[in-house]
Amino acid sequence: MNKTIKIKGDLTDWSALFDLMPNRKKRMRNAQPVALTSDPVRELVRNIHPEVINLVIDSVRDETASAKTFRLTPDIDEGTSALPIFRAGQYLSFKLPVGEETVTRPYSIASSPLDAFERGFFEITVRKKEGGFATGRIWNNWKAGVKVAASGPCGFFYHDSIRDSSEIVGLGGGCGVTPFRSMISDIVENRLDLRLTFLYGVRKPDDIIYHDELRKLEAKAPEKIKVVFVCSEPGESWTGPSGFLSADVIREHAGGMEGKTFFVCGPQEMYRFLDAELEKLNLPRRLIRREAFGEVTDPAAFPGYPAAAVGKSFTISAEIGDELFEVPANSAESVLVAFERAKLSPPSQCRSGECGFCRALLLEGDVFITPENDGRRLADKKFGYIHPCASYPVSDMKVRILRGA
Amino acid sequence: MNEKSTERLKPEYDVVVIGAGNGGLAAALELAVKGAKPLLLEQHNLPGGFATSFVRGRFEFEASLHELCSVGSVTNKGGVRAFLEDEAKVEIDWVPVPEAYRLILTDEKMDVTMPFGVDAFIDAVGKAVPGSRDSVETYMRFCEGISDALGVIGKLQDKPDLTKIAATIQNLPAALKHIASTTPGIVNFLKTLPCTVEEVTRTFNIPDDALKIIYPYWCYLGVPMSRMAFSLWAALIIEYIRLGAYIPRMRSHELTSAMEMRIRELGGRIEFNTRVEKILVEKGRVTGLETSAGDKIKTSCVICNASPTLTYNRLIHPAEEVPEAAHRNVNAHIHGGAGFVVYLGLDAPPAELGINEYGYFISKTMDTDAVYNSLGRLGMTDMQATICLNNAVPDCSPPGTTILSMTTLYKPDVWAGVTAKDYFALKNKIAGEMIDEFEKALGTKIRGRIEEFEVATPATFSRYTGTYKGIIYGYEPEPWDSIITRHLALKDENYIRGLMFAGGFGAMCMGYSSALLSGRAAALAALKKLG
Repeated sequence: MNKTIKIKGDLTDWSALFDLMPNRKKRMRNAQPVALTSDPVRELVRNIHPEVINLVIDSVRDETASAKTFRLTPDIDEGTSALPIFRAGQYLSFKLPVGEETVTRPYSIASSPLDAFERGFFEITVRKKEGGFATGRIWNNWKAGVKVAASGPCGFFYHDSIRDSSEIVGLGGGCGVTPFRSMISDIVENRLDLRLTFLYGVRKPDDIIYHDELRKLEAKAPEKIKVVFVCSEPGESWTGPSGFLSADVIREHAGGMEGKTFFVCGPQEMYRFLDAELEKLNLPRRLIRREAFGEVTDPAAFPGYPAAAVGKSFTISAEIGDELFEVPANSAESVLVAFERAKLSPPSQCRSGECGFCRALLLEGDVFITPENDGRRLADKKFGYIHPCASYPVSDMKVRILRGA
Repeated sequence: MNEKSTERLKPEYDVVVIGAGNGGLAAALELAVKGAKPLLLEQHNLPGGFATSFVRGRFEFEASLHELCSVGSVTNKGGVRAFLEDEAKVEIDWVPVPEAYRLILTDEKMDVTMPFGVDAFIDAVGKAVPGSRDSVETYMRFCEGISDALGVIGKLQDKPDLTKIAATIQNLPAALKHIASTTPGIVNFLKTLPCTVEEVTRTFNIPDDALKIIYPYWCYLGVPMSRMAFSLWAALIIEYIRLGAYIPRMRSHELTSAMEMRIRELGGRIEFNTRVEKILVEKGRVTGLETSAGDKIKTSCVICNASPTLTYNRLIHPAEEVPEAAHRNVNAHIHGGAGFVVYLGLDAPPAELGINEYGYFISKTMDTDAVYNSLGRLGMTDMQATICLNNAVPDCSPPGTTILSMTTLYKPDVWAGVTAKDYFALKNKIAGEMIDEFEKALGTKIRGRIEEFEVATPATFSRYTGTYKGIIYGYEPEPWDSIITRHLALKDENYIRGLMFAGGFGAMCMGYSSALLSGRAAALAALKKLG
C-alpha cells in the first residue's frame, strides 16, 4: 500500500507548500506588463499561405487559337505587395465575380517560382472551352488592368525530394501542360538535381502550347530536360511521334522506367486512358502522382451511378444560418454548381473533392460521389458530411451549407 | 445579396464558446447537455483544432493525437470516457493502444518495450534493470497515491484551499483524519506539490537505467524533469499506465465530429468559417463579440478555447480593457512547445518494415535537460515520438500499406527567424533527418516506400488554429504553474468578468484529455454564473 515518504532537503516541513501561491504572485508581479505585439510565425504563415492574393492583369498573349496566357502582378492598391512562394505544380483558385456572387476556378500556375519571387508575376494559361461558363468570362473580361482575386497557392501536384525520385516522367495532355512548364522552368532556373522527360500529348500540332519555350528550356539543360510532343491527329507535315500517350510511346521515349516518378496532368479522358496504359507498365502506385481529377461533368458515365437519376431535376433545401432556401438542382451538375447557380456561393477551391473547402452537412437525401473524387475523411463519411463539388444529387436533399470563408 | 443577410446569427446568446478545439467542443457539449443553448464559433471549416485529420491520396492521417489517457475500458472508465459516454451520450469507437511504448535511446544503446498495467510495468522495469524492482515499485505506488489524491481533490465540490488543508492535516484534527486515512497519498501530495519531478524522484534511489525507462512520457509535457511539476507527472504516468491509452478508430476527427453532432442534436449552434475578431469588453466585463462574418453578438459569458496569450493580445477590444496584470500573467508563463510532425504513407505493411509497435520514443538520451535544449535549435532535435497507426487500427490504411507519423517539438522562438524562401527546404531537411534517425533506430528502411509525405511545422499549426507561434503544448507546468496552483489562482487571475478559458493553456494543463476535461469544467463554472 501507500507508504508515506520522507522527502529530503527543504521539504521536510510545509513551508514550501505555503510559499507556492505567494511565489506565483511574485512571478507575476515581476513579469513585464507589456502586450506581445508580434507573432513572427503568424507572419511566416501570411507569407506562405495568404488567404487571398489580390492581382491585376499585366498583359495577355495568345498561345494558340484557343489558349491565352495571362500575366498577373500583385495589386498593391488592394493590399498585396508581393507574391507568395509556391511549389512548381501548384494551382491558384480564382474567384470570378458573377453578379454580386463569385464562383471559383482552379488554374495551375504556369510560371516558375522564381518568376513569382524575383520577377513579381504569375502566369496562367486558359484554354477556351466550347460553352465554358468560366473560360468564356475570362476570355471576354480579363484585359490588362483588370483586378482579380485568387487563393494562396494550393494543391499537392509537385515534386518532393523526400517522396519522389529525382528521375521524373511527366505526362501532360492539352492544357495539362501548364504545371509542367512551371516544373521545367524551376529545374532549369534553380539548377535542381532532377531529370524530367516530359511527354506532351495533343490532338494537332497547332494545339501545342509553349512549343518554342519548352524547346528553349530543353536546350538550356539538355542533360536534365527532354520534351517530346506527341500528336494524335498529326497531319502530313508532322515528323514527331504520333498517337496517344500509350504504354509503348512512354516506353520508347521515357527510357528505363524503374524507380522513376510519374506526374500526370490532363483532361479526364486522358486519365482514363492512362489508367490502363500505366497498368501495362506495372508501376507501383507510389510512383504515379496525378493532378486532381477536376470537376466531373458526366457523373452518369461512372460505374455505380443510379440509372433512375439520369436526366432528373431535384430540389435541395439549403440551410444557412437559420434560413432555408429551395435550390433547383440537375442530376448532371454537382451540388456546388446548384448552390452557385442559386447565388449561394459557399467557399470552394479545388472543385475535385480533394481540398474539402466546400464541406457541407447532408441532412436528408442521397448523393452520388465518384470514387476518383471522394477525398472525404472517414468520420465525415460516417457523419454525413459531403464535399459538394464532388457530389451529385440523386434525390431531393436537405443540406447545411457552411458560411462563406 | 439580401439572401445572404439571413446568415446572421441571433443577436444575443447566454454563452458563446470561441474555438472548436477539444476544450471548446467539450465546453459547448457540457453546456448543451445541461440544457443551455450555446453558440460555438470556429474559424476553420471543421471542428477539432489540433484534433483533426487530413487526406492525401489513399491515406487519412491523424494530425496530432498520439494517445488519449483517462479513457479507460468500458468496465474501468476514466474521466474522459465517463464524460463523453455516460454524461454526454457521445459514442466513440475507442481502440486500445497495444503497449505503453518502445523506448530506443540511440546514444545509450537502450531498447525496451513497456506494457500497460502498473504491475506489468514494474515487472518490466525490474526485468530490464536487475536490482531496480523494489525501488521502482515503491515509486510507482507513491505516484499512484499522488494521482488518487489529485482525483479526490478534483472531486471536492468547492475549490479547496490547499494551504488550509495542509495546515489542518499537519495537526491532523479528527475532521481530516478520514480523508488522510482513506487517501494516504494526500499528505504526500501536499508535501510534493511544490516539488519538481527530480526533487522527488531522486529520493527513491532508483538506478539510472530504470529511471530512463520510466521517464519517456516527459515529452507529453515537454518540460525537463528538473523543472516539471511532480504532481502532474505522477498523475500523467499513472493515468497512462493504469488505464492504458486509447485512440478513436477514425482518427481524432471521429471524436470531434461526434461531439459536434451531439451539440447540434442538443440544440447548440455551431458556425464554422467564423473567426471571432473582437471580444467586446466594457468596464472589465464581457459584453459581446464581433466576427469575421460581420456578426455582432451580445453576450455576458464567453468560454475561450484560444490561449490567454492570444486572447489578451489580440482579441480583447478595446485593448485598454486588458489590465496590466493580465499582460504580466501571460508573460510570467513559460510558453511551451510548438509542433513539428512528419506524416508518411508507406506502400509496405508494417510487419515487412519491422515496425511492430504502436508508439516509439526515440531519443539520444533520457537526460531531459539536454534533450529540452535541443528543442531550441533549428534542426533535427534529439527526440521523436513516432506512432504507427496500423499497429492499433490495422485497417487504418489500405492493405499492404502503413501510416507513420513522427513528432517533435520546438521552443516557440525557434521558427521565428525562418523566411518563406527557406521554409520548404528546411522542413524537408529536418523531416529527412528524422526519417533517417527512425531507420537507424529500428534498423529498417522506409525511404523508397514513401507514397505520401507531408510535414506540419509550427507555421502549419498556426495557420489552421491561429495558435501563438505554433504552440501546441500550452504553458510549461512548473510547480508554481501546475494544475493545482492554476486552479487556486483562477479567481485571482480572472481579469475580465465573464471570460473563461478552456483548452491546453488552461487550468488543467496541456494534452487532449486535459483539454477535454477543462472544457467541461469551464462550462460548469459558466452555468453556475448564469444561474
